[in-house]
Amino acid sequence: MNTSPTQSQAYKPAPIPGRFAFEPMPEGASPPLVIEALLKYPGRIIHELQNNWRAALPLWLLSLALLGMLAYGVVVGSFSGGTQLWIAPAKIAMGTTLSILICLPSLYIFTCLSGIEAQMRTVTGMLFAAVGLGALLLIGFAPIAWIFSQSTDSVAFMAALHIGLWAIGIMFGLRLLEGMGHLLGGSARNHLKLWSVIFIVVSLQMMTTLRPIVGTSDRFLPTEKKFFLTHWAETLRMSQQKNDR
Amino acid sequence: MIGRLKLLLRGDADRVAESVSRVGFESVAQFSLIILIGAGLYGATLGLWRGPLQAFYTAIKFPLVIFLICLGNGAINGMLAQILGSELSFRQTTVAILMSFAIAAIILAGFAPLTLFVWFNAPPLESKDAILGHSVMLLTHVFIIALAGVIANRRLLGLLRKMSGSEKVARAVLFSWLAGNLFLGAQIAWNLRPFIGSPRLAIEFLRSDPLRGNFYEAVWRALRHLFF
Repeated sequence: MNTSPTQSQAYKPAPIPGRFAFEPMPEGASPPLVIEALLKYPGRIIHELQNNWRAALPLWLLSLALLGMLAYGVVVGSFSGGTQLWIAPAKIAMGTTLSILICLPSLYIFTCLSGIEAQMRTVTGMLFAAVGLGALLLIGFAPIAWIFSQSTDSVAFMAALHIGLWAIGIMFGLRLLEGMGHLLGGSARNHLKLWSVIFIVVSLQMMTTLRPIVGTSDRFLPTEKKFFLTHWAETLRMSQQKNDR
Repeated sequence: MIGRLKLLLRGDADRVAESVSRVGFESVAQFSLIILIGAGLYGATLGLWRGPLQAFYTAIKFPLVIFLICLGNGAINGMLAQILGSELSFRQTTVAILMSFAIAAIILAGFAPLTLFVWFNAPPLESKDAILGHSVMLLTHVFIIALAGVIANRRLLGLLRKMSGSEKVARAVLFSWLAGNLFLGAQIAWNLRPFIGSPRLAIEFLRSDPLRGNFYEAVWRALRHLFF
């Protein structure tokens, strides 16, 4: 006699071969396993957060995100040196944390709108995973950024390079959220794409709010309020004027 | 060693994939040695037009550029390979990239007699056509290095196709590696300049300010002077 699945049974979508295979992690959450899963088998992270939730995994993911941002921040600070060596990592880690806090409620709402069956803690863990993967890639990009930071005195060039590298990292990170939508039964994917744009804009504005990160200043935080596009245009104009002199 | 060279040049994806899968210190040492000798030999012909001392310096710097690219991009190339679904480990990634540089180095070493012949026929530094000689040498080397790069990357694509089992994944991984290696490589080459040696500047291992300025800003400045 067949029995119907009960409410308490773990959610199990149709299996997808390859990277997004929805399967359990082999032996819980240790840092090397989490990193391996993020890079190779993100479906395992989604499975653990949805079906086998333990606080250790999201904590590891958040630690990875913040430590990665701190490490990359040191490279960012090496352009100006001096106090920027600790100010840049502190501001980048702080900016990342604030961006996560600001965008988390809207992410949960957008996952619901997409028809995804996920709890708040799963969504929180997935956001940590997305930012963690971005941070991991930034660590990989750190030698490239360091070579350029030692070879130029152009703030505009370095800022553009850091934004470009961050964009690559976060693009891969945000793909995890799309994977979550796919695995957890999301029907409308455009909502998560829209949310990704919101997260990127918030992060860019956050780095402008916490400026200067690449260059230097007498103050820890600026007194003047600016949108990031205005700030970029001004930085480019100043860089152009400096080159022309 | 000769067997390894033949294997690399034939591009037998099955056997190369097998040797990359069994990655060990021996493979890394062999590929590094091939790069050191092949790229070093070709590097010497690259600097010879400017003078024997420049040839000696470039013979050291040319393989150095390759090793610094592998070192600088090692971590990110490994991560991208895994994220894009190739199933290659960090070690396998490093060996695969070293292998493609080793293939390029063998091809470059094979072209060394040809570039020596071009050098023999090019107007020398002391002649009134020195600028022409410099331009001929520059264009010849750009063409040969590009050719070696294209062939080596075709071999690498074959290997990636074999190891990942997917054309799409292989192309994505190769594209990401190429983009990163070219981006960093251009800057490292800029930092370690000169390679051919400018006719108007003294011979030196590195310019007096090797870390001043970057390749992309120089290209941007040149474009601005040209068009604005």
